[in-house]
Amino acid sequence: MVEHAATSPARIWTMRLVYVGISLGILLLELLPLQTQPRGFAGPDMILLLTFTFALRRPEYVPPAVVAIAMVLADLLLQRPPGLMAGLTVVVTEMLRARSEGLRTLPFTVEWLTAAAGIVAVMIGYRVVLAIFLIPQAPMLLALSQLFSTAIAYPLMVLGSVALFGIRRVAPGEVDTLGHRI
Amino acid sequence: MAKDRRQEEDYLTPLRRLLASVVILALFGLFLVWRIDSPRVERFRAQVVDQVVPSFDWAMAPVNGMLNILRDFQSYTRIHQQNQELRRELQQMKAWKEAALQLEQENARLLDLNKVRLDPRLTHVTGVVMADSGSPFRQSVLLNVGARDGIVDGWATMDGIGLVGRISGVGEKTARVLLLTDTSSRLPVIIQPSGQRALIEGDNSAAPPVDFLEAPELVRPGDRVVSSGDGGVFPAGLLVGRIAQDPGGRLRVRLAADFERLEYLRVLRHLGSEEIRDPGSLIEPELDGEAKSGVGLSNAGPGDG
Repeated sequence: MVEHAATSPARIWTMRLVYVGISLGILLLELLPLQTQPRGFAGPDMILLLTFTFALRRPEYVPPAVVAIAMVLADLLLQRPPGLMAGLTVVVTEMLRARSEGLRTLPFTVEWLTAAAGIVAVMIGYRVVLAIFLIPQAPMLLALSQLFSTAIAYPLMVLGSVALFGIRRVAPGEVDTLGHRI
Repeated sequence: MAKDRRQEEDYLTPLRRLLASVVILALFGLFLVWRIDSPRVERFRAQVVDQVVPSFDWAMAPVNGMLNILRDFQSYTRIHQQNQELRRELQQMKAWKEAALQLEQENARLLDLNKVRLDPRLTHVTGVVMADSGSPFRQSVLLNVGARDGIVDGWATMDGIGLVGRISGVGEKTARVLLLTDTSSRLPVIIQPSGQRALIEGDNSAAPPVDFLEAPELVRPGDRVVSSGDGGVFPAGLLVGRIAQDPGGRLRVRLAADFERLEYLRVLRHLGSEEIRDPGSLIEPELDGEAKSGVGLSNAGPGDG
């Protein structure tokens, strides 16, 4: 029954709303004017991490349109070129979604490496496109520190999402409400 | 079972793929539109920020308050040390206050003697900082004053002491201040007392470097840096900071404004500096009306007298 509840349409739509809600919460915390001094170190990109965690563990909670809404809002509020980071994130989310089924039986390290590869792809792609379009970029060191901190923070995000929202990996043989295997 | 699922997905998957590609194309399209027609999309961004951030306010205020209390609480642990520091600083301040009072009197006397008129049009609007840029890559803050308060793009923004940045993006209720530390900030300045003109270029560090300096040997650490008003965007003479030299020997500006805590900012109303366009016209003696009407040289015959 528990598994059935986990994949009912109501649960799926609730979790989609939760995803957007957490993204808004993260944006709110980032926008707090607590630190107006330039920083030498960039923390992890939490919304990106959240999206990848969901995409690898419960892909049905993050359809492209929902990811696009959250990421475009982040682009607009965080003064990034609108649409670029969002587009890259949706592309990589789709790639991770395709891989998520194969990852279920593999150890966590493989999942972590896959997520890290996705993060690297998004961030390098972002810089490459900015360079092609001749848009001024952030300092390299800062971007690298964000890349590493994001990749390292993945397990923490996984722990958090398991503890708070019960986003665990689909177990082998798990079925949905209609009795289909997921 | 697994086979059933596959067959069922056969018609679902292409649809899903199509949807995903449409979303991705739309997003990259938005980026291209931004690249081609940036002002329009930036206006749209200002509108979105205008709608979203003030609605966050109810949630931001308590969180911000809590974190500030926490921060203050941390400082309690060093209270004795701070107390002593403050006492020492107070002692120094007293000396400075005395000097300042004397200078103020002297300055007033000199201004009076010279009949100097200070620019009366330099008034300001004060705004509260609502949000920062939210990303470590951009240095900007959002004020709670906007177009309805008469804020215009490009106006200078100060805290009580020094220049902080300029307005870049105005919404109905909010305005964004691009800080001097942002990588896209450039500010023409004069370094006193040598009078050298230079440019301050933000580079995402706390002390932006000085560039395009003609004679660096005339500039010494500790010199005052004020805005020069070149380009007509900023009023001249606003305090920016003091020159400092980093270990690499590069000249930087230690900003006078307290970037650690930006809370209330002043936006200076700047209605543009007046320009003198034409050279002065010919100065001629004042002529009475009769002479003026008969000034046509052809009429000025000998029979006139």
